[in-house]
Amino acid sequence: MLRRIARHEWRMLFAEHAPWVVAALLAASTGYAVLNGLNWTSFQVATIEKALDEEAERYIGLKQQVTAIESGQMRAPFADPRMPDMAGGRLAPRYAAMPPLPLAALSIGQSDVLPYYFKVSTASRESVLTTNEIENPHRLLHGRFDLSFVIIYLFPLLIIGLSYNLLSLEKEQGTLALLLSQPVPLSTYVAGKIGVRAALVVLLVVMFSITGIAVGGVDVTPGGTLLRLAVWTGVVAAYGGFWFGVVLLATSFGRSSATNALSLATVWLLLVVVLPSTLNTAVAALYPVPSRVDMIAAVRVASDQASAKGNTLLAKYYGDHPEFVAGSDIEKAINDVAITRLAIDDEIEERVRPVVDRYDTQLARQQGLVDRFRLLSPAIVAQDALNDLAGTGSARFAHFVRRVEAFHRDWRARFASMIVQKQRLSAAMYDDIPHFTYQDEPLGAVVVRAGVALLLLLGAGLVLGAIGINRLRRYPIAG
Amino acid sequence: MLEATNLTKRYNGVTALDALNLSVAAGEVFCLLGANGAGKTTTINLFLNFVAPTTGSARINGLDVVEQPLETKKYLAYIPEMVMLYRNLTGLENLEYFSALAGRPDYTREQLLGFFNDVGLAADAAHRRVGIYSKGMRQKVGIAIALAKNAKALLLDEPTSGLDPKAANEFSALLTTLSAAGVAVLMATHDLFRAKESGTRVGIMKHGKLVATLNTSDLGHADLERIYLEHMHD
Repeated sequence: MLRRIARHEWRMLFAEHAPWVVAALLAASTGYAVLNGLNWTSFQVATIEKALDEEAERYIGLKQQVTAIESGQMRAPFADPRMPDMAGGRLAPRYAAMPPLPLAALSIGQSDVLPYYFKVSTASRESVLTTNEIENPHRLLHGRFDLSFVIIYLFPLLIIGLSYNLLSLEKEQGTLALLLSQPVPLSTYVAGKIGVRAALVVLLVVMFSITGIAVGGVDVTPGGTLLRLAVWTGVVAAYGGFWFGVVLLATSFGRSSATNALSLATVWLLLVVVLPSTLNTAVAALYPVPSRVDMIAAVRVASDQASAKGNTLLAKYYGDHPEFVAGSDIEKAINDVAITRLAIDDEIEERVRPVVDRYDTQLARQQGLVDRFRLLSPAIVAQDALNDLAGTGSARFAHFVRRVEAFHRDWRARFASMIVQKQRLSAAMYDDIPHFTYQDEPLGAVVVRAGVALLLLLGAGLVLGAIGINRLRRYPIAG
Repeated sequence: MLEATNLTKRYNGVTALDALNLSVAAGEVFCLLGANGAGKTTTINLFLNFVAPTTGSARINGLDVVEQPLETKKYLAYIPEMVMLYRNLTGLENLEYFSALAGRPDYTREQLLGFFNDVGLAADAAHRRVGIYSKGMRQKVGIAIALAKNAKALLLDEPTSGLDPKAANEFSALLTTLSAAGVAVLMATHDLFRAKESGTRVGIMKHGKLVATLNTSDLGHADLERIYLEHMHD
């Protein structure tokens, strides 16, 4: 019976040309969105490639210089590539990049706001790496037009447009009475109607997304990509399921088509637009982050003060490390400069620490609040999960920053020890300067987080749907 | 076949139907007469289980419509004041869908066209979209749906209002045929003439009460009108 109803419903939708309209809308928007996403990721890939090329060329040049100086063909310039302070600071920094995942094109997330590569040198942590403000809910308002935008915003509107008059149309055109004089429960009709619409929009969204990926030439062979894509599809379906639950609940009140359309549009506006931006405003008002300008100014002031204190710092440094005092005067003078620099960088880090800590604490508080209240809006839950799976979420970025921090610490330790030991770099030693290799967080963690989001969306949809089905028993057929 | 026992419906303290006791046997055509708001439509909606009774019960073929809402609908066909069908489908497609819902998905095309023939609709009309049907044609499709369902009881709510005399006459003739075939018919109507013509019994309702029940064979047209008007005076 369900199949018979679904078949009839399908014909009715076709008679109104609804599937064609939905297909055309989705084809156009998903096509454009995937294209937009691919544009961005290929730009990222190209930028990283350019940076690494530049680094490789720079290293070749530096090694040639070192060889030339060592063989006496060239006089050592001021920026002597053999000196560890020059190499580690100005000449030979390496890039630490987080390449986009293949699916990043589906959900750009914050990847267009947050840095995806850093230039790691012996400079202080703050000049190498300053974390950006988390605008988690905010970007729901101003994101790029990517596939996740289509899914978060347009997809529910399509669902609402297709089903706001699920039963009210039958009531208004007078067919409901005739339907319900047949031995078929109202819930079966509703199930058939929703089933057809859900199949239509969910299948079309998934189909067009996958077509976009295929046509756009996204490489799905890297490990885990297909699993991510599968969970991605699941989250999309669950988000759709949530909206069908909302529709079912609205339907069960037995109001007119116009009232249903209006109330569903209001719910959409609240959950997708108002709530995320309110959350963002509330978060910013409750835990304001010190302005970036203040932070940069603090770094400047600290660096000026530390530089002014250079000699005192050097004396203090030698006081701490008396073993480095020995040596010829020239050598000592050269080393003094390097060690002063090292000491100044330590001092800057020390002085800026309170500002950075305040900044980090406020960000952590903001994130904490967002984490607590994000459950209020399925749009935020779905968006976060989609970003997470696409590798453009906050978790992957934080993971990247942690790895870069570790790389930066090692880098500084390595060059500091070369400086104090008065080592000089040979061409061969350049080859030993470590590269940054980005290693993703384990796939399991991502899948678990997205899986929880999927279940939350599905659960919310089921609860709303169950309440709706239960209320249908009191659906006002007559009067 | 149709049986109401102390059937009562109150809406927010207003009594729409007050302790109705009524029984319509197979082959009978019972016409409910009365002013607007007398409780005729409420009675029909109670039999359809579209509204729940406050007290009392409505039974179809011995089954309580509240306790067995789906089972009782297997015996039941309903023709509202306006039979509304799917405008984008042809008459035949509408009949096919409603028959399938009624549990008869197995009819052949010829059998379905046969029902159209039985209710006096031309075969070419069956292939046209319902959107262009006149009201008379749609009411006839309603009968065809009842025929295809092989309903044992037929509930009609002012089915001939707004029909021209010829169409109303044809419609009444179909009711007579159905009752001859053993269908119990309960019809709410304002048309005293039709009630006398095709009804076997008439009941006069006022303020939710059945105030009189008459056998049409005992009455002339003039008698029925006089009795009806007498009851309508307060």
